[in-house]
Amino acid sequence: MTRFLTPWETGLLAVFLATLALNASFAPEFLTVQNQINLFQLHIEKIIVALVMTLVIVNAEIDLSVASIMGLSAALFGYLVNAGTPAGLAILVCLAAGLVAGAVNAVLIARVGIPSLVVTLAMLIGFRGLARVLVKDTSLGNFPTWVTDLGQKGLIGPIPLSLLLFFALLILLGMTLHRSGFGRQVIVIGTNAEVARFSGLNVAKVKTVLFLLSALISALCGLLYAARLGSVRGDTALGFELDIITMVLLGGVSIFGGKGSMVGVFLSILIILNLRNGMGLMNLTGHIQTGVIGVLLIASVLLPNLLADFRARKRKDA
Amino acid sequence: MMMKLTGLAFAAGLATLMGSTAMAEPVTATPGQQVNAVLLPKFLGILPFDQANRGAQEAAAELGSTGKLEFIGPTPENSAAGQIEMLTNATTQKQNVVMLSNNAGDQIAPAAEAAQAAGTRVVTWDSPIPSGKGESFFVAQVDFGSIGTVMADMAYDLAGGAGEFAVLSASPDAANQNAWIDMMKEALKGDKYKDLKLVDVVYGNDQSEESYNKALGLVDKYPDLKVIMAPTTVGIVAAAKAMQDEGLCEKVKVSGLGLPAEMVSYTLNGCAPQFALWSFVDLGYLTYHASYALATGAIKGEVGEEFTAGRMGTFKIEEDPGRPGARRVLMGPFTVYTKDNVEAAAN
Repeated sequence: MTRFLTPWETGLLAVFLATLALNASFAPEFLTVQNQINLFQLHIEKIIVALVMTLVIVNAEIDLSVASIMGLSAALFGYLVNAGTPAGLAILVCLAAGLVAGAVNAVLIARVGIPSLVVTLAMLIGFRGLARVLVKDTSLGNFPTWVTDLGQKGLIGPIPLSLLLFFALLILLGMTLHRSGFGRQVIVIGTNAEVARFSGLNVAKVKTVLFLLSALISALCGLLYAARLGSVRGDTALGFELDIITMVLLGGVSIFGGKGSMVGVFLSILIILNLRNGMGLMNLTGHIQTGVIGVLLIASVLLPNLLADFRARKRKDA
Repeated sequence: MMMKLTGLAFAAGLATLMGSTAMAEPVTATPGQQVNAVLLPKFLGILPFDQANRGAQEAAAELGSTGKLEFIGPTPENSAAGQIEMLTNATTQKQNVVMLSNNAGDQIAPAAEAAQAAGTRVVTWDSPIPSGKGESFFVAQVDFGSIGTVMADMAYDLAGGAGEFAVLSASPDAANQNAWIDMMKEALKGDKYKDLKLVDVVYGNDQSEESYNKALGLVDKYPDLKVIMAPTTVGIVAAAKAMQDEGLCEKVKVSGLGLPAEMVSYTLNGCAPQFALWSFVDLGYLTYHASYALATGAIKGEVGEEFTAGRMGTFKIEEDPGRPGARRVLMGPFTVYTKDNVEAAAN
């Protein structure tokens, strides 16, 4: 099994198994089915977006606007439903709004050629501003029961819709990245866009597809968030982009592009979720939880660099 | 067998009878039972919530609960999502009762309903669930209507009866602050306040730096501003410090809800001559007593039930006038602090 994993992924697997063992021995409630579902459910929107963010970062781009698009889509849904729009229609409008937001990103990045860091940073502010204008300083709720049921109750047995979506997208996007022609283009462009362009790849098209997909999935997750909590505010999903990017980087995806796997990101997600859940069940306060995860991330960024440095020095000596 | 059943039925009937007789009298919960409880404030790291914890611990020791009382909370910047996560985890742990100062508005209602369905009671204090969904009852520090009047009166006094004032609140979804501001707006409709003008409501999210900047922003935006009213212990200190740092205390007075220990210097130097508050220690103490009674089944959380709360005496569950369909236990009253009494209270 481990033969198929990179050394980094093997390390992640070990950390994950250690976390599982710790949780199971110190928190008796940890292994219950409901807790295992809650563990995913409490962060489900972030982890779904992390899947598509993996493709974006492997492509040597970044999308900082995902959380603002989630917020915008949730706010728009709250606004439309409270203005009397049928919820089904409101959902379609919100997904369309997500596509429009993605198109704005895509045109500026892939056609005009502005770096995605700059474009999506601007849109992080812009889309969040729109969300705040729609909801103002209040919260909007009163969604139809079928919407909140979809967000809060099990669809197949105890498993809710959003969790099914997560696993479906995990497989779908994993196959796309590692087993399809499009995925190979994503990786080649991420390794060296210039070379890819000279080899005849349609770089702009691949990037356009990625930013459209990223925005569409973010808009969908904004709706899932609204349904799960039953009401939305202007600051819904504020700051989520950092958690999402963190999950992807801990998964071993290179911020410079070209390298990374869906397996690594999945393991990274499992580690963060299980750590949070275990610490919660052990009654650790929010400050300690943030501290522990912070230390883990610092270590995860430092370790590979130190190792590379060490290897380079050894080679020089030899 | 028949006899036994009849006997049981009789005993049950007697118990019901005794139960209903007891309803008229205040109920005192039997001490020494096992109640596992979580005190969940909006976030950790500010004095009022530590004081509430001290009161709750005092009550737990007094009642001799053989269960645990945990004091856990999220970080301020992750307050809403963190509270939802912690309430969900408490449900998983099968805690008997969670005492919640809600900072997530109605977004926490689904998690609270799930908790109740799994047998974990949710009692709110300090800040309720606006819709009342998923909440057994709310332990209110003071009558929300009377806070509105006191805030209007303090603004009136400090502005000299006329002029512009603004509100610096906590987070936009803090149910308690929102209710007080609404009540203040109601009070301002009175003839007495016709020359007093509320020009803006801004939110510092109970973060010192953000509140400080929002206070300065108000002064820049409204050159004729006379009073900043901050119904939050974080906001009022930040605003008072901002006015002091900028040398504006002669022009703009700060008031609202604050802790004497944190406000004493600003009250004595005239930056915040008048503010109000209640005891958070007592609020924590009463909340634990009420929650213990509820978790042990001594009370059911229905309107009209009365219970004793140790040194604080007898309390009654009633309809919450501010939230149709929801119930509250009213603590009250509060104290207005000035330079005459602030030093004594600060120690």
